Amino acid sequence: MNVVRAEWIKARTLPSTPWLLMGLLALTVGIGALAAGTLHAGECADPANCGEDFAKVSLSGLWLSQALAAVLGVLALGNEYGTRMITVTVAAVPGRMRILAGKAGVVLALVLLPAVPGVLVVSALARPIYAHNGFALPGAITGASLRAAGGTVLYLGLVALLALGVTALVRDTAGSLSVVLVLLYATPALALVVSHPTWHDRLQEFSPLTAGMAIQATTNLDALPIGPWRGLGVLAAWTAAALIAGAVSFVIRDA
Amino acid sequence: MSLRHLLRAEWTKLRSVNRWVLALAAAAVFTVAFSILASSGGSTDRQPNVAVGPGGKPVADDFHFVHRTLTGDGSIVVRVADQQNSHPQAMAGVMIKNGVTRGSSYVSIAVTPGGSVRMMADFRDVEKRAGTAPRWLRLTRTGAHIATYDSVDGSSWREIGEVDLAALPATAEIGMYVSSPGEIRLERSAGTTSVGERLTTGRATFAEVRVQGSAGSSWTSDDLIQPGLERKGRPGPSGTTEAAGTFILTGTGDIGLNEPPDDTVQIGLFGTLAGLLVLVPLAVVFVTSEYRRGMIRTTFAAAPARTPVLVAKAVVMGGVTFVIGLAAALVSFFVTQPILRAHGFGPPMFPAPSLAEPRVLRAVIGAAVFLTLLSLLGVGAGAVTRRGAPAIAAVITLTLVPMFVGSVVPAAAARTLMLVTPAGGFAMQRAKPATDWLVEPWAMIGPWAGLAVLGTYAAVALLAGGWLMRRRDV
Amino acid sequence: MSTSIEVRDLRKRYGTTTAVDGLSFTVAPGEVTGFVGPNGAGKSTTMRVILGLDAPDTGHAHVGGRPYRAMRRPLAVVGALLDAGAVHPGRRAKDHLLWLAQSNGIPARRVGEVLEEVGLASVARRRAGGFSLGMRQRLGIAAALLGDPPVLMFDEPVNGLDPEGIVWIRGLLRGLAAEGRAVLVSSHLMGELEGTADHLVVVGRGRLLVDTTVGDLLAAASGGRVEVRTTRRTEAMTVLANAGGTVALTDTDALTVTELAAEDVAAALTAAGVPFSQLSPHRATLEEAYMELTRESVEFGAMEVLP
Repeated sequence: MNVVRAEWIKARTLPSTPWLLMGLLALTVGIGALAAGTLHAGECADPANCGEDFAKVSLSGLWLSQALAAVLGVLALGNEYGTRMITVTVAAVPGRMRILAGKAGVVLALVLLPAVPGVLVVSALARPIYAHNGFALPGAITGASLRAAGGTVLYLGLVALLALGVTALVRDTAGSLSVVLVLLYATPALALVVSHPTWHDRLQEFSPLTAGMAIQATTNLDALPIGPWRGLGVLAAWTAAALIAGAVSFVIRDA
Repeated sequence: MSLRHLLRAEWTKLRSVNRWVLALAAAAVFTVAFSILASSGGSTDRQPNVAVGPGGKPVADDFHFVHRTLTGDGSIVVRVADQQNSHPQAMAGVMIKNGVTRGSSYVSIAVTPGGSVRMMADFRDVEKRAGTAPRWLRLTRTGAHIATYDSVDGSSWREIGEVDLAALPATAEIGMYVSSPGEIRLERSAGTTSVGERLTTGRATFAEVRVQGSAGSSWTSDDLIQPGLERKGRPGPSGTTEAAGTFILTGTGDIGLNEPPDDTVQIGLFGTLAGLLVLVPLAVVFVTSEYRRGMIRTTFAAAPARTPVLVAKAVVMGGVTFVIGLAAALVSFFVTQPILRAHGFGPPMFPAPSLAEPRVLRAVIGAAVFLTLLSLLGVGAGAVTRRGAPAIAAVITLTLVPMFVGSVVPAAAARTLMLVTPAGGFAMQRAKPATDWLVEPWAMIGPWAGLAVLGTYAAVALLAGGWLMRRRDV
Repeated sequence: MSTSIEVRDLRKRYGTTTAVDGLSFTVAPGEVTGFVGPNGAGKSTTMRVILGLDAPDTGHAHVGGRPYRAMRRPLAVVGALLDAGAVHPGRRAKDHLLWLAQSNGIPARRVGEVLEEVGLASVARRRAGGFSLGMRQRLGIAAALLGDPPVLMFDEPVNGLDPEGIVWIRGLLRGLAAEGRAVLVSSHLMGELEGTADHLVVVGRGRLLVDTTVGDLLAAASGGRVEVRTTRRTEAMTVLANAGGTVALTDTDALTVTELAAEDVAAALTAAGVPFSQLSPHRATLEEAYMELTRESVEFGAMEVLP
């Protein structure tokens, strides 16, 4: 447990950490509120049955906040390579798996710190915004919206861990971050121009971002390329692969 | 220590790190590869029975025509007594046309409920003046020369325009016509986008119809309609009603160029998205790696004025990016066009683009400029943050995220996103004009708007970076 | 070449810490000036200000009468080694020197020449990431020599060098000074500078403590010390104290006398008939002189004198 404490101190004393956490919170709340604000009941073809996915829209901050979660994950390990502190760390704690595990736990905790309140706040904020724009939302919190909110938090955690795993492989901060951002954002971009139905669906089913963000959907589930939990599972699979590959690399290679 | 010296120094710095040179090469390769991927994945199910105009471009040529055969010179005069406002661009007027085949040559003059008197020839607008029904319209043919006129009272005429249509044979159809375009509705709401077309039917009354010249004796009624087109409910039949020399025509359709908004040039250049994912981090690291290792002190000791250092870095990085980007764009263009054609993006709906066309050349160069401006933005961002991760994250997310978000939000929001984020720069790669009728949000703004947005971002980043560089202690 | 470094009333604060507080000194050509002080004394800050990297709050630092930031080809005026690690590990040694040369319009052949001078010619094509600490130091020194400048500044150049390297550097520094250049060497270890420096600028807590030649410092510091071994200590002490010296007991049989020259000690003891087995004059080392200077509370003559 000393490892965890050591990693915690390292992570929270990085100068970039408070900025990243604040940014994550700000993006989750700010963008979600903005997005909710753009929906107006008047623009619906059929006001009684708008078909808008209210929960998902209010959680749209995820588009950007996941980049910050990735940066967090990358810096947690990449920073040590950059400053060569990695040699100190490895010398102090010869069990390398423990180091990585400690980092993983800390990264997860750090992401949850702004993610949970952020999701709660934006979900709460969204209701009066929607009401102001003319929507009549059901009063009770549905299981689907809980899944969307909780899934968003999980998504952020998974992305941060994915970034950690990639960094253990690539080792260079800038390079790892680029790889993670490509992994996340390139496939949806490709999907924009690939109109061939089979390939379009395949891309969306297997890419971490589009599959993972399916967890946010509360309506129109048949239109999704993949089911919500299965989609998050795809992201989890990517994360697991990155962590395993990264762990192997970390343990075997020279520091 | 002049700028010339610093340029050489920065070029040496860039080319002497193998990893960076590799990244440059990879950027070019990824760009081409991604373009190929994008081109292979597309498919279009556009109308197979599209008409082709005299210029070879796909056209819409749908309207209701009441006509007589005219041999040699002649003219037609009508008074359009009224026109129903079925659509601002609905037309009621007269036309001389080479037969009744869709896509054949013609000259027309018509009024629109939108308030214009519009003269067209061969699917292009020749002249447009203000005016609306009720109005007198006249079209005269003298050999290959066709002139059109309008009048409010029937006696004093103003000429609208004239053309020479050599392709029009001696025997042509002359008469009245009515058309009314469909309303294309693109619905964007959070999460889904749908495109649909709602048809309209135009209706106009033509009185005091006079035809001069050796014309056939009777009027023939024809509906030019694109076959095989699925119609979403037709509000009313088209037809002609004649009563004592006054004709009431109803008809549906539109006449004009019918180029689909999908841009094959843009699709073929889409790989710049992959290229930028390598070039932006490289541009950032080109600056931030000096700070990380403290080498920036050596650099500033060699060049204490500091600003020229950033200028040199920007010029070197930007110049290299432009060269690589242009090469990659050209290769992408040539490699993807056959692929696109094989996937249905071929004539007649998509005539093969060629670099000889100014707009195509502009799009290809635009792709190189797009990458260059992004790398300049990266250099500036790196100078501002001095650390790689935040600069890379900021530039890449600001460029990519609005792309997807913009494709699922309402049009106004999407256009705003394109005008305030670097994602708008993608518009520089479009050869066709801006359109609201595509899912891709960057198609909504024109290429020069895209250039302005991205250019501003790059300029602000470099200026801020330069200012901070001078001011800060090292 | 008569270019010198001139620092006048330099003051620089970082937040609440005053790194340099009213520092003034001159580095003259033709000699090696040692810039000495404990860690945190303001040496690196001063050197950065001289190079225009940090802006002073008040005061100035000029080289050859001009501020560094106004120079068009600074590397031809000042060659500096600040941080040997500041090289991109993926870059070859010769490329690192090449871009530096190009930035100031220095001909490319100088790269080969300076690599030869510092003994790195054989590894010119190796990537800097594979260099040992000593090799990186040499590379940094080579960079400083590129422009053949009349002024040289080295920050802790001896760090990481093996004994052979230390000897080499001493020779290099003295050789450069002999050519008429102004050489500023900073160090926190006075011992390094022994035998190398002609002039010393000692700073502590951002302030100037001493600006003097080495000879004067040694002479001023505690004079000489004479160690005497005798069985009759009490007598010896009385005799010597009467003769004007300050005596301290060290070992069981030994005394340390200050403020008396060795001959006078011998004469006094002999005259009084006090036998002694050993008399060793002990010249203060630069190290000791420096330690005295930079001690928190300077105590002169605080040695115990027993009646």
